[in-house]
Amino acid sequence: MSRKITIDPITRVEGHGRVTIHLDEYGQVKDSFFHIVEFRGFERFIQGHPYWEAPVLVQRLCGICPVSHHLAAAKAIDQIVGVDPENLSPTATRLRRLMHYAQIFQSHALHFFYLASPDLLFGLDAPVEKRNVVAVAVENRELAVKGITMRKFGQEVIKAVAGKKIHGILAVPGGVHNILSEAERDYFLDGKEIENIDTMITWTQEMVHFMRDYHLKNKKMLDEFAAFPSGHLGMVNDEGGMELYHGKLRAKDSEGRTTLPDVDTNDYQQYFTEATAQWSYMKFPYLTQLGRENGWNRVGPMARMNICDFIPTPLAEEARKEYFELAGKKMVNSTMYSHWARLIEMLHCAEEMKVLLHDPALLGTDLERTGVARSKGIGIIEAPRGTLTHHYEVDDKGMITRCNLIVSTTHNNDAMNHAVKWVADHVISRKGTITESMLNQVEVAIRAYDPCLSCATQALGKMALKAELYDHNGKLIDERYKD
Amino acid sequence: MKDIKTDVVKRLIIGIGNSARADDGLGWIFVNKIKDRLPDAFDYELRYQLQVEDSELICHYDTVIFVDATKASHASGFELKPCEIAEHYYFSSHAQNPETVVYLAQTLYEVQPKAYVLGISGKEWELGEGLSTDAELNLIRAIDHFISLDW
Repeated sequence: MSRKITIDPITRVEGHGRVTIHLDEYGQVKDSFFHIVEFRGFERFIQGHPYWEAPVLVQRLCGICPVSHHLAAAKAIDQIVGVDPENLSPTATRLRRLMHYAQIFQSHALHFFYLASPDLLFGLDAPVEKRNVVAVAVENRELAVKGITMRKFGQEVIKAVAGKKIHGILAVPGGVHNILSEAERDYFLDGKEIENIDTMITWTQEMVHFMRDYHLKNKKMLDEFAAFPSGHLGMVNDEGGMELYHGKLRAKDSEGRTTLPDVDTNDYQQYFTEATAQWSYMKFPYLTQLGRENGWNRVGPMARMNICDFIPTPLAEEARKEYFELAGKKMVNSTMYSHWARLIEMLHCAEEMKVLLHDPALLGTDLERTGVARSKGIGIIEAPRGTLTHHYEVDDKGMITRCNLIVSTTHNNDAMNHAVKWVADHVISRKGTITESMLNQVEVAIRAYDPCLSCATQALGKMALKAELYDHNGKLIDERYKD
Repeated sequence: MKDIKTDVVKRLIIGIGNSARADDGLGWIFVNKIKDRLPDAFDYELRYQLQVEDSELICHYDTVIFVDATKASHASGFELKPCEIAEHYYFSSHAQNPETVVYLAQTLYEVQPKAYVLGISGKEWELGEGLSTDAELNLIRAIDHFISLDW
């Protein structure tokens, strides 16, 4: 008797998704799908708006990563007004970078402490009442307080440069509109009113060490759970180091062979194709030359660690070396290593923020540049969840005629489907009944990618959990539901 | 870690909601109208959703009032009640309710401000700005009552 299992929606992720797992008459997994079932369509309705509205409008895609959309759109719109990244003023570049690092820092803190930590602290078999941040707070008070404080630090930096923690505005075409005063800068350095940037670095190091120790105790699970080969995509600087704001696109296959050799972000269309599927609103980008089957890539922290030659800040670089040394391989294809990589990136961002806060150019007043107007702009950054592309074209009145967004989570679409398939094959196949642990492991696999489904399809949703079992005639024979 | 300051008597109103969802904007509109009339009596914050870190925020206050729209119908058009601490949580996301935020403040920071929840009844929840006629009336009643209290 063939059956279908549905998990709807997936919990502790951003947005609304659903998983269906199809079993054959022997209880073996035939197929599995991670469906994205809501849609908002910013690409379409931004058409007809003036170009300068884009960095403001598109950040409404999301309440978690608005800064990433704001900055990617701003980089694209810079080109519309004839300003390339290297021609921004030093102050504008530094303020944008500070905002970007703060965004990644707070977003990674949110994911690790609020969403992922229950999976790590309480295990894959933890009872449902423990799988939440409140349980983490009760049982690990110091960890919870530090997590809250670290997220707050990142948000405070964003507020200082953009006016608001969420949906603030810093970038304008060709630069920024806001200066940072010495007093505002010192707020993050002197430690008088809030924990300062040095404390953020120390605490992040503690978290990296926590994860290293967790790895030592749980290496088999981390190595094997949802492990599968894939390509990896990210951005690097001219020396091959990790780059999060502006660099060149690089991709490697699961064995470390280069599949995209440090290409200019403006040329992304030459290398990528976006496929669609009937069962999801989320697109499937892939490297054109490798084809739909083999050309998809993971993006985000683990992918960025895989594709870069080094991290250009000392503590994070030390942590990166240890990560690969303990992993015992030069390319990591195990989903759960994403959590460790995410913490190393937090450390890198904290180090970068410290450098910027001590840089006198951060406090400059040369904010905007102008150039010769163009009809097309492409902005690509490394957002917390991975490579994020904004592409706009305008008419001679400056009205947007075309918009293409390749959001980080869409790159991970195939990866999340493979992760679900792995759990289906290794945990659910031939078991017959659905247990809490099985359902949770499907979600753990997806959650490791920190998907922002709201961004990927521009949808916002409430997440509960539904699992349904169907026989081969499509008749519902078992059902579980939580909200 | 820095101590949470609790020696200063301060009052905070947090408006929760979304003004692009018709009556779901009641919490925000309430805050903005009270702010116009009593600019110095309270600190004011607006939220789409409460989050874990709001537990740290409320620790800096002696009194906190959470204001949100409610689908529940009340004869007076609103309900003001103490916010009882509760180890509740929203299973699926990072968004929290007022009772959990107060609970987290006590658990994490060992501080428990006096907390209240003001729910104002609404009727329309679809996309669109502006309140329904019923919600407008309920808002006026809630404001009048709130202003009349000795905070």
